[in-house]
Amino acid sequence: MSHIATALSVAALLASIALPARATVNVVTTTEGLAAIARDVGGDKVKVTALSRGIQDAHFVDANPSLAVRLRNADLLVDVGMDLEIGWLPPLVTQSRNSAIQPGGARRLTAATAVPPLDLPTGPVDRSQGDIHPSGNPHFLSDPRRALQVADAIAAGLGAIDPGDASYYQERLQAFQAKVGAAEKGWRAQLAPFAGRSVITQHKTLTYLLDWAGLKAAGYMEPKPGVAPPPSHVAGLAAIVKSAGVKGVLVENYYDPRSANQLRDLAGVKVIVIPGDVGGTRDASDWVSFVDTLVKALVQAVQ
Amino acid sequence: MVNIALLSLLAAQAAAPDLGSQGQPFPTGGLNVGSPGGIPIGKLMLMPEIAVVVDGALGYTTLSNGQQELSALVLPQHKVWPLLQEVELAFQATIDPYVRGDVFLTFSPDGVEVEEAYLTTLSLPWGLGVKAGKIYSPFGRTSQLHRHQWTFVDQPLSMQRLVGAEGLGGAGGDVAWLAPLPWFAELHLAYQATAPGFADVLQLTGVARLIQYFDLSDSATLGVGLSWALFQAEAPEQWKNLAGADLYVKFRDPSSRSSVVLQGEIYGRQLGDQTFSRARWGGYGQAVWRLDRSWEVGARYDNAPAPVALAPGTQQTWTALGTYHTSEFFRVRLQPSLVLLPGGQNGFQGLASFEFTIGAHAAHPF
Repeated sequence: MSHIATALSVAALLASIALPARATVNVVTTTEGLAAIARDVGGDKVKVTALSRGIQDAHFVDANPSLAVRLRNADLLVDVGMDLEIGWLPPLVTQSRNSAIQPGGARRLTAATAVPPLDLPTGPVDRSQGDIHPSGNPHFLSDPRRALQVADAIAAGLGAIDPGDASYYQERLQAFQAKVGAAEKGWRAQLAPFAGRSVITQHKTLTYLLDWAGLKAAGYMEPKPGVAPPPSHVAGLAAIVKSAGVKGVLVENYYDPRSANQLRDLAGVKVIVIPGDVGGTRDASDWVSFVDTLVKALVQAVQ
Repeated sequence: MVNIALLSLLAAQAAAPDLGSQGQPFPTGGLNVGSPGGIPIGKLMLMPEIAVVVDGALGYTTLSNGQQELSALVLPQHKVWPLLQEVELAFQATIDPYVRGDVFLTFSPDGVEVEEAYLTTLSLPWGLGVKAGKIYSPFGRTSQLHRHQWTFVDQPLSMQRLVGAEGLGGAGGDVAWLAPLPWFAELHLAYQATAPGFADVLQLTGVARLIQYFDLSDSATLGVGLSWALFQAEAPEQWKNLAGADLYVKFRDPSSRSSVVLQGEIYGRQLGDQTFSRARWGGYGQAVWRLDRSWEVGARYDNAPAPVALAPGTQQTWTALGTYHTSEFFRVRLQPSLVLLPGGQNGFQGLASFEFTIGAHAAHPF
């Protein structure tokens, strides 16, 4: 029986490697942000599908079996990692029957492996600290430095799957790097006058972006990751707003803004609703326009 | 709880070569014989995901023991009774590149039981997947769920009496084929030894199930399932055939944590000495509204065959549910039920339950 299973597995493995020449590489990503970068790098050689929407909190996507159908024929699965999708992606990958995208599979690219993490726990870890990510903060894709590292990894992944077009992906990568580089100059110019200032965010979703921008988080609406803010916490934040000179609160549009609005009423801060990912608002239609939207929101929040 | 700082320090120490005064690594000597070398915490990474789920409750009922016959939960009449319903211990991990393993042990007042212990293939061709071991039968929707996956505190009596007291399951295998269609369509064929209903005697069982999911829109999903189980009946009172149909509709705005789920199942059971026309039928329908990240309310109507000893006819149960989730790992539930027995013997049952999970538990399928 074990020989039959092994023979079938080997046959499946060979079938997955020896793919016939194809017009497009079928890339499936877990988020719209990853999909946007894959489209930039892959151009017309790839067909990209995202499992979640930009208006969705990627922690809490339903493991709808329809998504397993999209994974079934994926030539490359790109996920964020650091347990962002732990609540829904693993059963879908198992249901998909696609052996190459299983964890450690040849066609699985976990973007978190390409970037240096922030918010690594430095002490004891347990759930009294809320929904923490022991492997690090997974919200790194709005940081231009890390987005470029992910783009590099995707280009390499596509080149490995589709060696005939490897140089095409590298050219697209260079074009993306140039586009981001040009945009970054403008973003830095907008942010330069406000270096060192602080904002409040709902969740630790902007840690990497703030680090890149030279800004700080004076506090979070959530007292602990994933924990709803009680009134006492909002009152505590009101004191921080005054002492740290905070002028704005940034809230992704999939979060309930009521607590942020309470803080606005208590402490006079601005509440700025932002997209959580590419596609989260109409303006944030690709990765550059998404970050452009965030930079404008940051400027609005600190001035 | 893992002290990450300590582990990081150990890892860093292990990763750095032990250099002598001239910058050369010390030769390994007798003291290091038997040391695995490398990172001392490396073995921890091979540990399976381990989780413990605990279910406890306070129960009250106006029904006598006789009126609660053929129910998985029997409460003392007119007493507020504390219950530790179940402790589940789960171990889950990938075995090798081709299979994963899942083991669930349950500890309850009835003793220790292997609830499920099975392997799942990861790399079979042609859309095939195999589960083998002790498994829940691929029959129906709610009968395949572990206790902590139940939305309500108990399972519908129609399922308990017509399918299995705690679902249908046993040793065997399930071959599932994911059809190459634009929507999710999966056909299961299973061969097992099961003990349906409240029976203790195992029967050889063949099970077939077709489950399909359709995206009606960005915010609505429809699931439709048909199940059939064929039993080897060696006595008149044993199960011969069991049919089931289930319907599931979920409405959820993708940008919200709020959702509404409508779900129903019907079951038809034919015993060894029955003609098809004398088969017993039952089923339930339920609606559950997740208001936000914390609150959930629901209602269920259940129509089950009444125990023969009590009276012929059906037993209807109307149940309400209120749930509060402090997080994904802890919830408390309040569940009052109105029980309508044949002959106007009506009663009340109330359950207040808590459930918590510690450790790492793999995500559940939809």
